[in-house]
Amino acid sequence: MMKRRILVSIASLALLAAACGSDEKEGAGTTPATAAPTTAAPQSTTAETTAPETSPPATSGGGENTGKVVLLSAGEPEETDAYQKIFDELINAKTDYNIEVVSAGDFEQQFQIQAEGGTLDVAAVPQPGAIPALAEKGQIVSLETMGFNIDDLNALLGESFVALGEYNGQHYGLPTNINLKSMVWYPKTAFDAAGYKVPTTWDELIALSDQIVADGSTPWCVGFESGGATGWPATDWMEDIMLRTAGASVYDQWVKHEIPFNDPAVKKAGEVFGQIMFTDGYVLGGAENTPDIAFGDAPGPMFENPPKCWLHRQASFINSFFPETAKAGVDYDWFPLPPIDQEGTLYAGELSVVGTNGNRPEVIDFLKRFIAQDVQCAMGGVQASSRISPNVEVGESCYANEILAKASGILTDALKTGTGRFDASDLMPAEVGSGSFWTEMVNYVKNGPDYLDTALKNIEDSWPTS
Amino acid sequence: MSETVKPPVLQRIDHRTATAVRVIGVVAAIFAFGFLGTRMLDFLRDDDANRLLVVLSAILLGVVGVFVVFWAMDQVVDWLPKKIREGARPYVFVGPAIVILSVFLIYPVINTMLISLRDANGQDFVGADNYRFVFTNHSMLRALRNTAGWVIIVPLIAVSVGLGFATLADRLRRGEAVAKSLIFLPMAISFVGAAVTFRLIYSYRPSGFGTNIGLLNGIWQGLGNEPVAWLSQQPWNNLFLMVIMVWMQTGFAMVVLSSAIKAIPTEIIEAARIDGASEWRIFRYVTVPSILPTIVVVTTYMVINAMKVFDIVFVMGNAETNGTEVVAERMIRWYFISNHDGRAAAIAVVLFLAVIPVMVWNVRKFRQQEAMR
Amino acid sequence: MTLAVVGEQKQPRRRARRGADETVGVTSGGWFVKITIAVVVLIWMVPAVGVLVTSFRTEAVSNRTGWWTMFAHPFRTSEWTLQNYREALGTGGFKSAFLNSLAVAIPSTVIPIVIAAFAAYAFSWMSFRGRHVMFVLVVGLMVVPLQMALIPILRLYTSGASLGGLRVFPDLELNGTFLGIWLAHTGFGLPLATYLLRNYIGSLPSSIIESAQIDGADHFTIFWRLVVPLSVPALAAFAIFQFLWVWNDLLVAYVFLGGTRDTRVITIALANLVGSRGENWYLLTSAAFISMALPLVVFFSLQRYFVRGLTAGSVKG
Repeated sequence: MMKRRILVSIASLALLAAACGSDEKEGAGTTPATAAPTTAAPQSTTAETTAPETSPPATSGGGENTGKVVLLSAGEPEETDAYQKIFDELINAKTDYNIEVVSAGDFEQQFQIQAEGGTLDVAAVPQPGAIPALAEKGQIVSLETMGFNIDDLNALLGESFVALGEYNGQHYGLPTNINLKSMVWYPKTAFDAAGYKVPTTWDELIALSDQIVADGSTPWCVGFESGGATGWPATDWMEDIMLRTAGASVYDQWVKHEIPFNDPAVKKAGEVFGQIMFTDGYVLGGAENTPDIAFGDAPGPMFENPPKCWLHRQASFINSFFPETAKAGVDYDWFPLPPIDQEGTLYAGELSVVGTNGNRPEVIDFLKRFIAQDVQCAMGGVQASSRISPNVEVGESCYANEILAKASGILTDALKTGTGRFDASDLMPAEVGSGSFWTEMVNYVKNGPDYLDTALKNIEDSWPTS
Repeated sequence: MSETVKPPVLQRIDHRTATAVRVIGVVAAIFAFGFLGTRMLDFLRDDDANRLLVVLSAILLGVVGVFVVFWAMDQVVDWLPKKIREGARPYVFVGPAIVILSVFLIYPVINTMLISLRDANGQDFVGADNYRFVFTNHSMLRALRNTAGWVIIVPLIAVSVGLGFATLADRLRRGEAVAKSLIFLPMAISFVGAAVTFRLIYSYRPSGFGTNIGLLNGIWQGLGNEPVAWLSQQPWNNLFLMVIMVWMQTGFAMVVLSSAIKAIPTEIIEAARIDGASEWRIFRYVTVPSILPTIVVVTTYMVINAMKVFDIVFVMGNAETNGTEVVAERMIRWYFISNHDGRAAAIAVVLFLAVIPVMVWNVRKFRQQEAMR
Repeated sequence: MTLAVVGEQKQPRRRARRGADETVGVTSGGWFVKITIAVVVLIWMVPAVGVLVTSFRTEAVSNRTGWWTMFAHPFRTSEWTLQNYREALGTGGFKSAFLNSLAVAIPSTVIPIVIAAFAAYAFSWMSFRGRHVMFVLVVGLMVVPLQMALIPILRLYTSGASLGGLRVFPDLELNGTFLGIWLAHTGFGLPLATYLLRNYIGSLPSSIIESAQIDGADHFTIFWRLVVPLSVPALAAFAIFQFLWVWNDLLVAYVFLGGTRDTRVITIALANLVGSRGENWYLLTSAAFISMALPLVVFFSLQRYFVRGLTAGSVKG
């Protein structure tokens, strides 16, 4: 018995010695070296979740280069693959770190968890409305802290866009992508053959719709269903119309809640929306069914022979839902949603936001390269992409997709003339923008024009008071 | 070992050396293991390491590591003075579980309770405001009502079907394993797979938007009707969603109950049959009472699962406009989508409190069972 | 000594059962039983058949016609394809994702079982203060939705915890490591594991435990050499459930391990096939069957442990 014990101890000591042998490099590795002490300070207070965060970390690019940057994105798989290739070519090949794009199905959840948990490097966020809450809790890092010059960024990316990421005097989001929303798609071949003309004013659009009804068909295809996010296409309609009836400055007031949600200006937009939805025979399947039609299924009837509907208002990504055999510019095309009382262009996009874990030199370097002209132009050249670059130096020739090329032209004009605005529901507080706005719009189309007042009041009541 | 008896003094020295060597051995083993373990962990973090090797070392570390920890702790208890040795031992057995639970579940629970008294950012104190919201907001009230429905209907159906099926399958001479496996199969499908599965059942397209690819509408149209948006029909849509959970979870109930049924000694059943009892009476008065503890366990698990249901409701349409909200889904929505930490935490606390009756029921059964021993 | 007795008792039981079935032929396997079972199984299989069929159909056909229509013309070869499987398997780094899933699932199954078995034994057969309260607390913890736990745990992993200046939890930098996710899955799986195992271990006949104690065995030995072998059915049952749950899990893996190529698991790799707007939903059908393959194999191989009895009636009295 005793001999066995001695053998055991000798064996263990031998193991110990062997393990100790290569302990030198491991000794450093077991303690966290990536987060420098300065940036660790704000993190340690998060254990007492009650302590309010005071100011963002004062160091710029504090921390050592870990050689790895992870970009969290809500993108589509083909896009993400293509972008990874571009990054590999233009960034990874030239630098001492590796950037990887990771796409998440449930982006909002993952983004929240990682930002609050402190494991976020960079995320391309489509909803700037989420920024204030995170900035207040100190879970994202401002551009100023990382050493970016805001004036340079304003010149490169457009001041109104950069301003979307502002909170308390600091900027938290770097614009990296735009897409156009005010597009009306139509089946070009059949459209031309039927002798219809592309409308340039709202009245012409209504007249066209009446014409189509008179010819025995249905003009509009609309679908709002989208799983847990059902209702978001309806908010796009409202915003597009709001821009064109009330104008850009009232739109801004609406977004910032300087006017109540049931203000007469908003009500007027709702009534114009109702004109499209509720006029007899305008919408295929009737307005009350639209919340049950998947938004991806909605344009389908346009491609039948003869088309069962002729007009579909939707953002630029929708053409990936069209039949594969349909050719852009031949079988289908688009025209910008016409102005009503005012001109307007609705767009959405992404702001890249940096989490507390990402305040590192390689992340900052990546961001600088990400918005640079060469990378952005290469990204535009991806056929499967639906993105447009916010970088004003990127010209139409960069876009492989002619739909995008034409759209980018419209966007640049809109940004320059100041008539372009970001999607309101993505800017409003999440309770409204991803909550009551969606559900009340669905209730509106289900219950009919008389429900509008109730819908707007409910949304107004749900606006957070803090 | 030598046969000669040593003088007492030497015996004591022998014993002490033996103990000392044992102590050193165990401590050295712990340290060696600790260092090896940490080195392995660094190896696991290395991006360029051979994947298969990483997997094997991960498995080895995870499996052997735990056992070594328990063994080491048990050794340590053996060194304690005899008086407190057996008193301390239970805590060694239970210790790791309690520690892990404290970190991973109890700490978040306390954290959540604290946040429930605070505002949307989890910072300023707002007292009972969030709880007032939970019990007055119409969407929340619907959620409470729906959850009550889920908690009653899903366990009822799943346990009944599971029990019935297990009893009947037990009678099969052949094919029992196949039948049970097929009922169990839905448990192997991930939730994402289940969502697609039922999309192919409930999918709706009004006329003009293409043919319906959902089975229910296929049948409904085949009978000459217009297609129906099943998931929007209030309040039946709740039942349609419950079907999904029943489909997925009955396999669990069936497997566990089936094993319990097989454990009933055949003499008892045979005796009842010889006495002329019908199958139904045997089932009611022999089978069920014999497996009652297992029925309690299975039902408890199903009830708690039904209380927590979230994925199914969240993904299949806008819960608020469809009227299918449930408590856990509201919690997620408030926490992650609408970013209101306080309300979400309050909803979670309501969920914690709702499980107390279930716990009380279990304690009673638990005590009964121990008294019978 | 006690083990040998137990072994002998087990074997004759199974043989006796077979005999009993045959002599009582009236009730076993009658047509009522067979038909009911067949009907239930058929209904149960309908959704799964739908997915299986769709996984072999082309995208165009899946989107345009119901999957049940294939029964009318099953031999139209233009509608069948292996493309869905090819795409799902061809998604970059599938083999690596598979290995990662294994590296996560196996320890995440074994660790909770070992810890829970010890705890279940203690709750059943050891007496100590507070055992009832502790056990009920463990059961109650089953209700905690894990989403509420993700952020606090993630914070603990990345930066540890201090309470008033005193470091309560060390900064271990566990995020993105395998150990981190094993511990997380262990934490989430312990309540159910302890609950199930305690039910089983607690219903073992007390005579066995007592006679072993009289023979002089201490608790560790009783547990390791007596209770564990007897509890194999319960351990196997829980192992299957936990393995399934961890294998199919998406959220915990994403949060604690990340979605990058080197550490992502199968569920993430397959979920990435479908865009956030859901265009490629038909790919999920083949993905579902691919990711189901291994858990089913595990289930079949562990199945034989089920038939012997989850609650130890087999050694009663």
